[in-house]
Amino acid sequence: MLLERATKIESQETNPLVPGLAGVVGTAGDAVDMEVLNAFEELQEDHETDLIVELIDLYLTDAPQRLLAIREAAFANEWLLLKRAAHNLKGSSANLGIRQVAETCRKLEGTDYELSTESVEKLLQQLDHEFARASEALLTERQRRLQ
Amino acid sequence: MSPEKLPSSKRVLVADDDPVMRHLISTIIKQQEHEVVVAEDGRAAYRILQSDSAFKAAILDMTMPFLEGLDLVRYMRSEKRLMRIPIMMITAEQDIKLMASSFSAGATAFLRKPFTPAQLQSAIRMLLGNRQLRNRQLRKIAA
Repeated sequence: MLLERATKIESQETNPLVPGLAGVVGTAGDAVDMEVLNAFEELQEDHETDLIVELIDLYLTDAPQRLLAIREAAFANEWLLLKRAAHNLKGSSANLGIRQVAETCRKLEGTDYELSTESVEKLLQQLDHEFARASEALLTERQRRLQ
Repeated sequence: MSPEKLPSSKRVLVADDDPVMRHLISTIIKQQEHEVVVAEDGRAAYRILQSDSAFKAAILDMTMPFLEGLDLVRYMRSEKRLMRIPIMMITAEQDIKLMASSFSAGATAFLRKPFTPAQLQSAIRMLLGNRQLRNRQLRKIAA
């Protein structure tokens, strides 16, 4: 049995507030695909705690550790470790609709590290930026759900 | 080899180093009135399986710290007390060869991320409730 789902890639705009990240995604709204995240309401049972809030909390607790693992691997030139850490974060992000983080992880996973350490650093900065945007969107959604 | 008795336990082993996935899968398994035994990585899953074989099914992440999902599959298929347990692999990999290796090693089913909640629910329902799927697994092992 093999179950597949297509992924979407959005167009990107220059962010005027962060010139060092020119070409990185702009608007906050595309950080998280709310349709994907809210689909997990299907699993919500009556009188149980909000499942999506639980998933957001788990992701926001776990993802920084994975980001740190990616950074540490890059610092130590441990490229296989970096690929694995990026792969893991890609999977958990994509499943919750955190698309730009997933996409940047995919790029990190596929980089030829021996030739482009500069592009790795650029991707790492992009990843930090995307995660910050995603965190903001997730926390906003979390607060909305708890009201 | 005659058909073996199906595992009668309602316990499911879930091994995944992603806490979001562990929680999602555990939630669905409990909704299907089964008990969940959770392992946070491959080594923890291996330690559980060394002394506990009363599982109706196992759901294993392909990529885990210490011991990969594929290694766990090979271990389970090498142990008489574990070999009848249906195994679903979960992965974000797109490598066809890796999938083929998983099935060759003895995995029963394969679920690729990202998936929708409905897909995950269907996959688990099939793994836990599908007598045909489980009988096919037993015939494969017996062959």
